[in-house]
Amino acid sequence: MKVFLWRAAVLVGALGAWELVARPLNPVLYIAPSRLPSALMRMLNVPELPPLSQHLWLTLQEIAVAYALAVAAGLWLGFLLGLRRSVGRVYEPLLAALYAVPSVVWYPSLMLFFGLGPASKIAFGFLLGFFPIVLAVLAGIRQVPDHLVTVAVSMGARPGAVFTKVMLPAMASTMVGGFRAGLALSVVGVLVGEILGSRAGIGYVINYAYGLLMTPEYALLVVLVAAAVLALDGAGALLEARVKRWAG
Amino acid sequence: MLAWQGATLAALLLVWEAAVRLGVADPLFVPAPSAVLSALGSTLGEALPRLGETLVKTLLGYALAVGLGVTAGLVIGSRRMLHQIAMPYVVALYGVPKILILPWIALIFGLSHSTGVLTAALFAVFPILLMVAAGTRDVDATLITVATSMGATRWQIARKVLLPAIVPSVLAGMRIGVVFAMLGTLLAEMFAGNRGLGFLMQRLAVAFRAPELFAATAIVSALSITVVLFLEHLNRRFGQWR
Amino acid sequence: MTALVGAAAQIALSDVSKRYETVSGAVDAVDSVSLAVKPQEFVTLLGPSGCGKSTVLGMIGGLIRPDRGRIVIDGEACTGPNPRKVALVFQDPGLFPWRTALDNVGFGLELQGVPAARRREIARGLLEPMGLRGFEQKYPRELSGGMRQRVAIARALALDTPILLMDEPFGALDEQTRLLMGEWLVGIRRRTRKTVVFVTHSLLEAITLSDRIVVMTSRPGRVKDVVEITLPYPRDLNAPEIADVRAKLWEQVREESLRAMEGNA
Repeated sequence: MKVFLWRAAVLVGALGAWELVARPLNPVLYIAPSRLPSALMRMLNVPELPPLSQHLWLTLQEIAVAYALAVAAGLWLGFLLGLRRSVGRVYEPLLAALYAVPSVVWYPSLMLFFGLGPASKIAFGFLLGFFPIVLAVLAGIRQVPDHLVTVAVSMGARPGAVFTKVMLPAMASTMVGGFRAGLALSVVGVLVGEILGSRAGIGYVINYAYGLLMTPEYALLVVLVAAAVLALDGAGALLEARVKRWAG
Repeated sequence: MLAWQGATLAALLLVWEAAVRLGVADPLFVPAPSAVLSALGSTLGEALPRLGETLVKTLLGYALAVGLGVTAGLVIGSRRMLHQIAMPYVVALYGVPKILILPWIALIFGLSHSTGVLTAALFAVFPILLMVAAGTRDVDATLITVATSMGATRWQIARKVLLPAIVPSVLAGMRIGVVFAMLGTLLAEMFAGNRGLGFLMQRLAVAFRAPELFAATAIVSALSITVVLFLEHLNRRFGQWR
Repeated sequence: MTALVGAAAQIALSDVSKRYETVSGAVDAVDSVSLAVKPQEFVTLLGPSGCGKSTVLGMIGGLIRPDRGRIVIDGEACTGPNPRKVALVFQDPGLFPWRTALDNVGFGLELQGVPAARRREIARGLLEPMGLRGFEQKYPRELSGGMRQRVAIARALALDTPILLMDEPFGALDEQTRLLMGEWLVGIRRRTRKTVVFVTHSLLEAITLSDRIVVMTSRPGRVKDVVEITLPYPRDLNAPEIADVRAKLWEQVREESLRAMEGNA
């Protein structure tokens, strides 16, 4: 209880400090939290700004497609490398090497190939989201207790049954963790793509606001997007905890 | 094993080259490996000075992140109450896509080097902080009890027990932090800048100079992999008492 | 020395050997072990750690293939896991953490395609006499060590095999629980009339539970001696006959234990 109070105090204190610090400073650059609600009203009413709902819908679609592709490819590659030990041993170091490269270096090439439309954002979101999923599948396979497999085999379980009845449940919580991380990264990928260069989408709107020095609106958008991402991840965390409690 | 990896890469490159030559892939969008190779020389000339700029910004931002992250991680990790209060916020901030803050930084600091440095620091500080905090928390309590029972002051415990004990975590965080720092710098350069490798890559993309772009991508990738491999080597030599 | 080879052996091992390749060279785990187990007999493999007794059990259970020799169960050669004839219990209960006790017990039946309702019925019927009524819906993490092992044994019993193999099943439990589980196992055995091959390094357990004790040498494991115990169950540990058997066994096991300790030094 005490911790909860302290946490709330920190939040209130931070907001208060932000307000106090931002007020006397250049209003173009520094936005006090108190200016955000009015920015919200303006954004919903003013015709200069593009219709928010359309952009939001586009971004969501991009995220959905990127993530679906990431999950499909991630599961496929993860199981390929993880179940066939020989293949995995050879190609995993290559995967690890790719992980050492800052992901954003791929974006200009993607932009060149796919153009400024949704495709490049989807491609980048896919690229970012796919890695954690592959890694989670590999880690999940590794931490299936050998003993449980032995028990199942000793009771006559065939490889198919061992996979569905022992491996998958044992891997469940690790995989959900991977799905969660993959979603977070797919979202980041799409957003980065939109902010770096696009003609539509939430990232584009943020860029647009920034470009026109509509800082309160920009700040509002940042807060809203951040809150949405956090909520999504929070839901993922709850799911992960649930699965962890079930599967052990 | 190396043979398999090399063979697969070679095979992929051959297929790629064939695809372009046979007209399956448009060389405007997908340059042939041979074209990339020949562009490498000229690109290096363009890229090297900008690479230097990017590296300097990355290093500065990284140093900032390490200083801040290690200190904060140590402090948060060693005080239970503080850890419980602060951690959810740190994790939440880590979860927010930091790209959202980039326009604001660019607004304040413009096209100067500071934007790149600060973005690099922003991206790198979180993983470092989290790993150091976790490593600090995981320090065997018995060790601290022993030191306390021998009359060690808080400061002495920090220096003689905590610091050596968390070296593996710090190194791990730093290894991850380097890639993030470089990511931040490149991102800042791509978004708002006229200097550095990120900007060069954006410009090459917009100009449809595919072979040069791929060459530049290869150069950055090679650099990054080298840095990470080097850090892992350091870790193996110095951080392996666990 | 070979254990007595009877005419109607349910489990027959002939000259079985197993060698493992390790980084430091080849290790003979088991060397020329021959053994015959009669139906409904309780045979214990007794010996120091590393003497290969678990390997022998693993071979009977079809999980490990012998390099030499043959294993015949009920007239058929042993080529792999045989869930219709042989059920195993290990020291680590190996319960699936995502399944309730009931679903764990029903696992083997599930593999054989037994319908869900029937599985639950059988599982409930097995858990009740184990004192686990009311715990059917509990998950392994909610159960004590002794309870988990009982669920593991129930799971093995659910296969309704004529043969039960047990590899130090009570090894991870505290002494009091061990003694109680031993008593309880005697009761189970009397009711189910199974053939049991039991592995342990505890003399007391061996004496309390077995019809015959096969003493094994330290690595490489061979049959050192076979001791028969004809006393009725349940066995009174204070009886003078028990003391005799115990002394004799200890003399043999001690010799091998010392050899094992020195070998590992």
